[in-house]
Amino acid sequence: MGTQAPQSIDVQPDNQVPVERPRTISRTNETDPAQHGEQHEGQHYSVPLQDLKTVFPHGLPPRFVMQVKTFGEACLMVRKPALELLHYLKNTNFAYPAVRYVLYGERGTGKTLSLCHAIHFCAKHGWLILHIPDAHLWVKNCRELLQSTYNKQRFDQPLEASTWLKNFKITNEHFLSQIKVQEKYIWNKRESTEKGSPLGEVVEQGITRVKNATDAVGIVLKELKRQSSSGLFHLLVAVDGVNALWGRTTLKREDKSPIAPEELALIYNLRKMMWNDWHGGAIVLTLSQTGSLFKRSKAYLPHELLGKEGFDALDPFVPILVSNYNLKEFESCIHYYLENSWLQHEKAPTEEGKKELLFLSNANPAQLERLCAYL
Amino acid sequence: TAERTSKSERQMRRKALPPRAEKMAVDQDWPSVYPVAAPFKPSVVPLPVRMGYPVKRGVPMVKEGNLELIKIPNFLHLTPVAIKKHCQALKDFCTEWPAALDSDEKCEKHFPIEIDTVDYVSSGPSIRNPKARQVTLRVNCSRLNLDDHAKKKLIKLVGERYCKTTDVLTIKTDRCPLKRQNYDYAMYLLTVLYHESWKTEEWEKNKTEADMEEYIWKNSSSEKRTLETLLQINAAENKMQVNKEELLGTKEVEDYQKSLTSLKNEGENEITLSQYKESVKRLLNFTG
Repeated sequence: MGTQAPQSIDVQPDNQVPVERPRTISRTNETDPAQHGEQHEGQHYSVPLQDLKTVFPHGLPPRFVMQVKTFGEACLMVRKPALELLHYLKNTNFAYPAVRYVLYGERGTGKTLSLCHAIHFCAKHGWLILHIPDAHLWVKNCRELLQSTYNKQRFDQPLEASTWLKNFKITNEHFLSQIKVQEKYIWNKRESTEKGSPLGEVVEQGITRVKNATDAVGIVLKELKRQSSSGLFHLLVAVDGVNALWGRTTLKREDKSPIAPEELALIYNLRKMMWNDWHGGAIVLTLSQTGSLFKRSKAYLPHELLGKEGFDALDPFVPILVSNYNLKEFESCIHYYLENSWLQHEKAPTEEGKKELLFLSNANPAQLERLCAYL
Repeated sequence: TAERTSKSERQMRRKALPPRAEKMAVDQDWPSVYPVAAPFKPSVVPLPVRMGYPVKRGVPMVKEGNLELIKIPNFLHLTPVAIKKHCQALKDFCTEWPAALDSDEKCEKHFPIEIDTVDYVSSGPSIRNPKARQVTLRVNCSRLNLDDHAKKKLIKLVGERYCKTTDVLTIKTDRCPLKRQNYDYAMYLLTVLYHESWKTEEWEKNKTEADMEEYIWKNSSSEKRTLETLLQINAAENKMQVNKEELLGTKEVEDYQKSLTSLKNEGENEITLSQYKESVKRLLNFTG
C-alpha cells in the first residue's frame, strides 16, 4: 500500500487508457493532508465524504460541487502552492502572532481549492475553522440592510450572517460546547447570554433570532480571537476573496448614497480578525478577482486587488503564487478525467488530443475543466 | 502632296508633342523643373509611378490623368539637391556655428536651457502670423541645482509640464502678443519656480501620506506594525526587553524595509514579490 512516485510520465501512444497502472500517475491513496509531500505532487487524493459534509458545507466552488456530485467523489490535486502552505502551517509557532498567508494568482488557477486543501488539513488536526467562503457575497446583492442595534453608524446583514452561522455550526459542532464566552451579552429585554455559557448558545441565538445574527457573528469572532491565545484550540481563519473587505460595495442607503465597507458590521468585525494581534493560529487568505467589484478582469497582483489600504492592513504577509498547471499536473488531470470516463471524445486520450487541450486551455485549471465538460 | 485638309482639320491634326519627361537628361538640374511647390504634372515628372486601387486583380492606374497623384501633397520641390541650394543661399544670412560645440553633450553642458521658436513666412496680405509668438523653453532638471525637497516641490508645482522619463521641464508660453515678451515671461517663470521650490512654507509640514510621491518606510504604518509584531514575538520567546532601535536595526528588518519599498515604488512583479516573501519569512522567524 502506499503510493508509487512516478518516475516519468511516459504516456502510452495507443488509444487505450493504460490499465496496468492507472492509480500511480494521477491518484494517491493518502487521504491525510498532513502526510502529503513532494512525492505526491500532481496526484489527486480523495476527501472522505463525511469530511466533505462537515468541513466544507459552504466552502467549495460551485463547479467543483457539481463535479463531486457527478463523480461521486471529491478529489483534490496536490499542488506545490498548497504543499508550501501546509509546510508553513505544520511549522506554525503558536506563541508567535498569527501569520497571514495570501494566495494570489490569475483567474482559475486553483486558489480556492488550495485553500480548501489547507482547511482539510487543519480540520483533520483539530483546528477550529473559521471559513468565510466568499467575502464578496457580503458586499453586494444584499436584500435586507438593517441599522445595527449595537452601533448606530453601522449596518447589519441578517440573511448573510445567519447562513454563515448555520454553516459555522456544522463545521465546528464539537468546539461550540467546549468554548465558553467570557462576557455577558444582552440581546434584548428578555434574552441574554450569561458569562461562562458555551459559545453554542450565541450561535443558536443568532440562527433563531435572525435580527441579532450579525451581532452574534461579531461576538463569535471576538471570543474566538481572545481565546485562541489561551491555547485551548488552534484557530484557522480562512477567507476567500479577502479583497472584498477593502474594496467598494454596491450597497446603497435609502437615500442612494453608497456605503463604505467599514460601515457594514460584518466587514468591520472581519477586518479586526485580519490583524495579527492574536496568536495561536494562522490566517490564510485568497485574493479573487471573480466576484470583485470595480476591478479590471485581468487584475491579480496583491496591490491591484487589495488597494493601498488593504495591503497596508495585511502587511507583513507571505504571498504565495498559484499558477497554471505544469505539464505533470496537466497530464495527471487528464488521466483523472479519463479514469472517470469524463472525456468521451475518441481523440481525447491521444497525444494530439492532449496537445490540443493544452493549447486551448493554456494549462489553466478552470479553462480545462470547462473544456472537458463538453467532450 | 497638296494639302487638301481644311483649316480646322489642320489645327486638329497638329501632332501631340512627346511629353517633356522623355526629353529630360538624367543629370539635369531638377530644382529648376520644380522650383516651388507645384501640383504633380505627369508629363514633367520622369518617374513611372502608379497610384490607385487595383480593381479586379488589376494594377494601379498610370500617372497620366491620375487625380490621386494630383490630390496628395508632393515634395518634388524639396529634393536634397534643392535643399542644399537653399542652404547655400541662406548661408549669407547666417553666422558660423561655434567650433568648440561639436557634440551634443557639450551643447547640453554649456547651454542647458533650450528655446524653441517658430517663424512663419507666407505670401499674403500680411506678413504677421499669430502662431509665431509661441515660445517653448526646455531644461533638464538635473542641471537646475535642486535638492530633494526642492525637486519634489517643483514637480508638484509644474504638474503636467514635467516629463518623468526624460527629467525635462517644458514651459510653453504664448499669452503675450510678441515673441520677445513670451521669451521673457518664460525665463521669469523658470526663475520664480526655482526660487519658490527652495523655500519651505508653513503649511508644508502638513504633508500627509497621500501626498507622498514615493513610499518611505520611516514613520509609516508598516513600521509601527512591524514593531508591534516583533515585540510580540520577543514576548513570546521571553527574551529581554529590547528597545525600539535595536529591534528595527536588525538585518531582517532592513531587508524587509528594502523589499517593501521597492515593491511599492517599482510596482509588483515576480521578482519584487518573491523578494518580499523571503524577507517576510526571515522577519517572522520562519523555521524551515
